[in-house]
Amino acid sequence: MIALIRYMFTVLLLSQRYLAPLLLFLGLVTVLTSSDTGPLAATYAAVAGAMLLCSAWLTMASVGLEDQSHRSVIVVSAGSHLRVLLGTVGAVAVWCLMLTAAGLVLPLMLGPHVPGLADLTLGTEAQLTCAFTGTAVGLICSRLVFRRQGYALVLALVLLLAALVGKGVSPVNIMLTRLQNVSNSTDVLVSTSVQLIAAAGFLTAGVAITQAINLRKR
Amino acid sequence: MLRCEAVGKRYGGGRWVLHDVNMQVSGGDVLAVVGGNGSGKSTLLRILVGLSRPTSGTVSGRPPHIGYVPDRFTAHDRISAISYLTHMGRIRGMSASAARARGNHLLERLSLVGGPNASLRTLSKGNAQKVALAQALLVQPDLLVLDEPWSGLDASAHGVLAEFIDEAAAQGGAVLFTDHREAITETQAGGAYAINNGQVTWRGGRHARSRTSMVELVLAAPPTDVRPVEVNWRTLPGVVNATRRGEAIVLRVAREHSDTVLLTALQHQWSVEGLAGTADEPGSRADAKRAAL
Repeated sequence: MIALIRYMFTVLLLSQRYLAPLLLFLGLVTVLTSSDTGPLAATYAAVAGAMLLCSAWLTMASVGLEDQSHRSVIVVSAGSHLRVLLGTVGAVAVWCLMLTAAGLVLPLMLGPHVPGLADLTLGTEAQLTCAFTGTAVGLICSRLVFRRQGYALVLALVLLLAALVGKGVSPVNIMLTRLQNVSNSTDVLVSTSVQLIAAAGFLTAGVAITQAINLRKR
Repeated sequence: MLRCEAVGKRYGGGRWVLHDVNMQVSGGDVLAVVGGNGSGKSTLLRILVGLSRPTSGTVSGRPPHIGYVPDRFTAHDRISAISYLTHMGRIRGMSASAARARGNHLLERLSLVGGPNASLRTLSKGNAQKVALAQALLVQPDLLVLDEPWSGLDASAHGVLAEFIDEAAAQGGAVLFTDHREAITETQAGGAYAINNGQVTWRGGRHARSRTSMVELVLAAPPTDVRPVEVNWRTLPGVVNATRRGEAIVLRVAREHSDTVLLTALQHQWSVEGLAGTADEPGSRADAKRAAL
């Protein structure tokens, strides 16, 4: 699995298709958090919002890179469609972890914040919650499910919007709403962990749906 | 080893691309799948390697190490050929150094133009096909499936591909390939399945298990002044190879067809110089193929 993740990561790196989502993430983080003097929980909520968008984009880009013949070769080499799909998710997770590190540090450089361990843990949890949800959306809207990427893009935007505004349903919405209204990060650490687990469930469901549809089409 | 039972395939609610396919591929077999464009050859191969699920029926006995070369290997990646092969080797469980060494060896044998450090997207169709071949052979395959592997390859690579096929079969692996050209399928394959209207039929040849039932027939002009009539030996049933050895012609014939071929030879004024039952050794088959090519 590590070899698969390494290959997927390298292919995306060499393709330079990561550049647009990376620049978007850095731009959004800079715009949303520069000169921010509020509590770090709200700052990291904004960063997590940017992560939602970029993780979905990275996932769609990563899956879309491989044409059918290449993917066939990798599937036969790896032994199954599921392993390759999990390899893609793993590679996107590595990218998201790198973005998470940037998302934790950049607001501290751009604003007068004094971070505590609870703030950094909360920032990591919030970004990973959004990364998992975004990856799930990216998978469902990837080329494995939709041949026509125009429709997939529209659906991705609808699903991302639903994740952001779906009150009481979306773990992203529940988490971001809480983070906006809290002054102490420690107070929401546990509830954010619950949302992280819920987002991991979304990602599992996203993988299962993508795998089922992908197999059905072949 | 690999067995297809009542396999059918259709996409969505469309027509049946394959219908009631029964096949058996054993270790050491070199088999061709022949059929026209759009007849379902590639679909059958994709089902056999596990890329596509059959709509009905079952495929059992799929071996662990499968080498697969798709019909088109369009490469847009910036990754270099040797780096790609190293990654593929790692994915197959090899160490990076072993994968790199094996990749370099295979690319050297295939004479990849541009060298192993050429990026995949700069490769021509034939050279990309060589990389596709190399990735399938990084680990000695138990089942080697090649979808029109000769298309785009130059003449020297044809010979190397024939060697690869023989090596895979000699190691006990099964080889299955498609090609449109009858000459190639007859020369390279021990037997062939034909696809027509979604039905797959065993068209002839032999499986590896009947390797020992071969006859080597050495024919020459008779000592008298009679000149024998030229015969297109390859068109006769059961003739696997026909090569010249000096003035003589050496035929390798399936045992069940040897009497008919012998009768035909005698009727055309040929004299029998030698007759022997042989095992169909892959090495000798490779030599014959190279001579034929």
